[in-house]
Amino acid sequence: MMTFDAYSLVVVVNAAVVGIALVAAGAWLTRGGLSATQPGTRQNVGEWALQFFVDKAREMAHGEHKDKILRLVTSLLATFFLFILASNLIANIPVPIINRPPTSHFSVTLALALCAVFGTLIISTAVKGGAKTLVHLVWPNPLQWVSELTDIMSLSLRLFGNIAGEFMTVALVFMVVPWGIPLILHALGLIPAFVQALVFTLLTASFLANALHSDEKSASTESAEEADVALSAIGPTPAEGRS
Amino acid sequence: MNTVLLALVAVIPIAVGAAFASLAMRWVSTSAIEGMTRQPEIAAQLFTAMLIGMALIEALCIYTLVVTLLIAQRL
Repeated sequence: MMTFDAYSLVVVVNAAVVGIALVAAGAWLTRGGLSATQPGTRQNVGEWALQFFVDKAREMAHGEHKDKILRLVTSLLATFFLFILASNLIANIPVPIINRPPTSHFSVTLALALCAVFGTLIISTAVKGGAKTLVHLVWPNPLQWVSELTDIMSLSLRLFGNIAGEFMTVALVFMVVPWGIPLILHALGLIPAFVQALVFTLLTASFLANALHSDEKSASTESAEEADVALSAIGPTPAEGRS
Repeated sequence: MNTVLLALVAVIPIAVGAAFASLAMRWVSTSAIEGMTRQPEIAAQLFTAMLIGMALIEALCIYTLVVTLLIAQRL
């Protein structure tokens, strides 16, 4: 399963190409300097692409280290989303040999999950300090560190299973009906490509929020409680209404 | 005989896993849509929570897929 073959070579080359292309796109978008008062078209495109992650990071950036959290978390989340999305979309290139998505190989998704979990620990260390991060692994639940291991497994297996399963399905259908039907499957495959990249990013964000703000009452909890109060003022929830 | 047995062992878990995962996903999506129609202003938050919940359910189904693939390689 883990031997070195042509499939692994294609996957590694594709992953490298995606990484280099993303870095080149980032360099091109920021070329020629940025302006706060008169943003050009390229700057607008870049800011539009990053806005979602900035909003996501702003949700967890409060307290004394606000700017640090915002900077670190935004770059981590944006990197994960863009890399996974670009990797998933490689499956839709209509060239037979090179269209293996890197995320359909377990080594790549395992590396991404390791980056997510250890990145969480590193950001937590940079923000809260090493001692508090280590304490968070064993307190209040002494087996808290086991959840980090299962996070690695579930993150990597989910991404791998989805993308590899979809790729295999299209390949099997292609062997039976080479015309027409694979096109529909490719179009449908765009949805899991987006959703899986989004899910990986959102889960990493929730791990980060958990690691950064586990010892304090976060703003999102308060807003959720407010929404709860608003709901109970209207009437019983649908589940209560049924029973 | 052994091959037939292995094939059954490979195929049955993914069938059962997919069936129960689809039931659980129906529950999640129904509740999320009910919540969104009752409270359209928090629809974005509900959608995010629904995606995360679905991902966690789907992970269990993916585990059975991995088991199936591992057994299918021995056929």
